[in-house]
Amino acid sequence: MKIFPEDFLYSREHIWLRLDGDMATLGITDYAQESLGEILSVEFPEIDTYVERDETFCSMESTKAVIDLVSPVSGTIVSVNEDINDDIGIINSDPHDIGWLVVIEMDDMEQLDDLLDATGYHDFIMQEEERG
Amino acid sequence: MVWRVLDFQRYNAFENMAIDEAIFRETINQKKPPTIRFYGWQPAAVSIGYFQDIEKEVNIEKCRANGVDIVRRISGGKAVAHCDEVTYSVAACDAEELFPADILGTYKIISQCIARGLAYLGIQAALAETGRNLDEADCKSCCFSVPSRNELLVSKRKICGSAQFRANSGFLQHGSLLMNFDPLKSGAYLLPGRTSVQLQKLKESVAAINEEVARTVDEMEVCALLKKGFTDVLNVRLEEDTLTTAEEDLRKELIKKYSDARWNMSRKREPFKIDN
Repeated sequence: MKIFPEDFLYSREHIWLRLDGDMATLGITDYAQESLGEILSVEFPEIDTYVERDETFCSMESTKAVIDLVSPVSGTIVSVNEDINDDIGIINSDPHDIGWLVVIEMDDMEQLDDLLDATGYHDFIMQEEERG
Repeated sequence: MVWRVLDFQRYNAFENMAIDEAIFRETINQKKPPTIRFYGWQPAAVSIGYFQDIEKEVNIEKCRANGVDIVRRISGGKAVAHCDEVTYSVAACDAEELFPADILGTYKIISQCIARGLAYLGIQAALAETGRNLDEADCKSCCFSVPSRNELLVSKRKICGSAQFRANSGFLQHGSLLMNFDPLKSGAYLLPGRTSVQLQKLKESVAAINEEVARTVDEMEVCALLKKGFTDVLNVRLEEDTLTTAEEDLRKELIKKYSDARWNMSRKREPFKIDN
């Protein structure tokens, strides 16, 4: 069984979010990286870009598909993980920690209410797998 | 269950990619049943994967000199020279329960449909269990040289190369089935240039429909049998139709993107947003 950090929130699009005040660090979940397979390229947004909730904040190519990642929250991109440019493998090897993608300065904390906690996300992917 | 099918027609590269994306956007925005589309390329074209560097993958001068269009796909994967082939696309939203949520599962089901269609021609295609790698020097950048897991092989040669794009609410998968294969012609438009030994290896790793059957078949026959493959495997009814007015409007907008050098050379685009 996969372990999802208890202090994260999760979207149904398999994005995790870690909060520090109004700063939200985003990445893809372990479930997502396993489904995508080996990740080959990432296209980051520019710093200071404003991203709306449900809007693409990052595009990623794996050996199997190109996928647009949508942000679960609105806000301004304040940081991207430059380490990925040196070693893209960290997204696959450690998606919940050093493989983080971007930091967003949120402007609507109520949007967090729509996200799942670790147990809720675990149940959600169990349903997805049953469907598969 | 009724799905829409758009029957085989030839368009130029920019139209083809614009139509696929228009269908995809409308399918997920309106949560419509899936659409299957079959098409060809007129004039011949080279398409590159979303993240590829056009200057490293495509012999641009040679393409221009021979009237070969070059277009960047929204899907991933490698460069493909499109000439004598049937291309399929499938667009579906996440609400479609016949497709699993994961990428590999989707590949697998579509591959099963195509394999069933090819079986009507006597071609026994099997799903690739694992990816296969050729040496770096052996045309690794060419889509047909490297089968992925769950793509289709005939006697270990790739007969169908596919690529997928996923947004939050659905997927678009398109792929090529070669009617005939001339490695010299296909290889001429792709980089790096290949030696005759490498082209021979490429030839040996690719299967084309008309090289697998005793008589010559045309695109319409292949498409009719592929449709039977989809209906057999998925137990859906396919209804022939055309683009909706909304899709036509989108297509016209998207042609501007796909024929724009900013997109094709450096993948500059507007953010892809799902309208609610």
